[in-house]
Amino acid sequence: MAETPTTRIWLGRSIFLAIATVLVFAQLLPLDTRPHIWAAPDWLLAATLVWVSRRPEYSPILVIALVFFLADLLFQRPPGLWSGLVVILTEIIRTRAKGIRNMPFALEWGSVALGILAITLVNRAVLMVVMSDQAPLGLTLIQMVMTIIFFPLVVVVAHFLFGVSRPALGQVDNRGHRL
Amino acid sequence: MAKDRKSEDYFGPIRRLLVGLIVFALLGVFLIWRIDSPRVERFRAAVIDRVVPSFEWAMAPVTGVANLVSDFQSYQQLAAQNNDLRRELQQMKAWKEAALQLEQENAKLLDLNNVRLDPKFTYVTGVVLTDSGSPFRQSVLLNVGARDGIIDGWPTMDGIGLVGRISGVGQRTSRVILLSDTSSRIPVTIQPSGQKAILTGDNTLNPPIEFLENPDVVRPGDRVVSSGDGGVFPADLLVGQVALGSDRRLRVRLSADYERLEFLRVLRARAHEVITDPGGLLAPATLPALPVAEPDVAVEPADG
Repeated sequence: MAETPTTRIWLGRSIFLAIATVLVFAQLLPLDTRPHIWAAPDWLLAATLVWVSRRPEYSPILVIALVFFLADLLFQRPPGLWSGLVVILTEIIRTRAKGIRNMPFALEWGSVALGILAITLVNRAVLMVVMSDQAPLGLTLIQMVMTIIFFPLVVVVAHFLFGVSRPALGQVDNRGHRL
Repeated sequence: MAKDRKSEDYFGPIRRLLVGLIVFALLGVFLIWRIDSPRVERFRAAVIDRVVPSFEWAMAPVTGVANLVSDFQSYQQLAAQNNDLRRELQQMKAWKEAALQLEQENAKLLDLNNVRLDPKFTYVTGVVLTDSGSPFRQSVLLNVGARDGIIDGWPTMDGIGLVGRISGVGQRTSRVILLSDTSSRIPVTIQPSGQKAILTGDNTLNPPIEFLENPDVVRPGDRVVSSGDGGVFPADLLVGQVALGSDRRLRVRLSADYERLEFLRVLRARAHEVITDPGGLLAPATLPALPVAEPDVAVEPADG
């Protein structure tokens, strides 16, 4: 391949941004305006976590913050809280990305699930403390569990469609830098 | 961003500062939202106003295709539906005749009694751009806004029944909080018993009726219309029919077709006139000084 590492990184970033945008607007489509008794997984969160834990250089913090803040505004959530928590979680995962690379998949799944659980609970706790309106507890839990369950599916899709795989140990890019 | 060890060390502290700043800014926005909600909500409306219409070109074809698919699925039931409709039409013709006669009779009686009717509402029709995008909120975004003279609080209907009320107006878009949203509270009257109640959204398709004074006189099948109490809505907009939920609570089967909200009418509701004058006849503005001792007057009704 003739592409330099810089173009590769920028290509990866623009693919991530495109996917995030598509996910946000797919959710906004007015296909069914009836209330649901169950909640679909939060695809945007799952995709972001896959990207951050596998190829952190493709998902820069500014893009994550921007996309989630926009999603907060568009989805009528309290602006800033959820996006702030997601940014914190992705930063924690990002600093551990090198360690996650060596884990078996079940462990990676478990740690991401723990992260999702943590930010969901913190989100609820903060909303309770500031006495703000809350989404129904059942739906929140369903959505959280669904997001965790569908995480491996997103991993598979990201791997085969977008080439977001864990860099192998000692894998180098075109210039010989370690990934 | 770990290109090699050296640049990582170089970049680390700046990066940490950036992360801290971003998190601080996001949580700061949340705090400001909590303290001073209207300002941030205006900002939200402005952002939606900018972002959503620019994606209309992408949304229209996708929504169209999805609707085409669901329409196609319904073709197989079309023949049966056609027969049903024909039969229904026969009955409806008889009803229409009766309704016309009743309308004429009603008009005649109203005229005889010199009843002054409310003028009919005019409306603005808007197209639904997006839904709320979250399973926790029931709202839709319309493509009409302040530019078209939309004002916060106006009721919104589809062809038949009440759908919700305007809450949040941008320049080109406005948000409709549906009756099924958890924050929706609408004062209603249940006909024919005339009982007043509050329709409380609870994220289900059939919102429950609350604060009903006498549930015994309300029966499933009764009509529910808006009551106009509290100046929230104009009176007598059709909401739906009473139904008994599986949890033995009285709920409303909404008349509006929530399955496919596509075009919505925003009614131009004028502000209710408030009567501030106490009425010159009963209580004169300046009370004449009473020579009588006060306690006597106060005790008298208690005795009676």
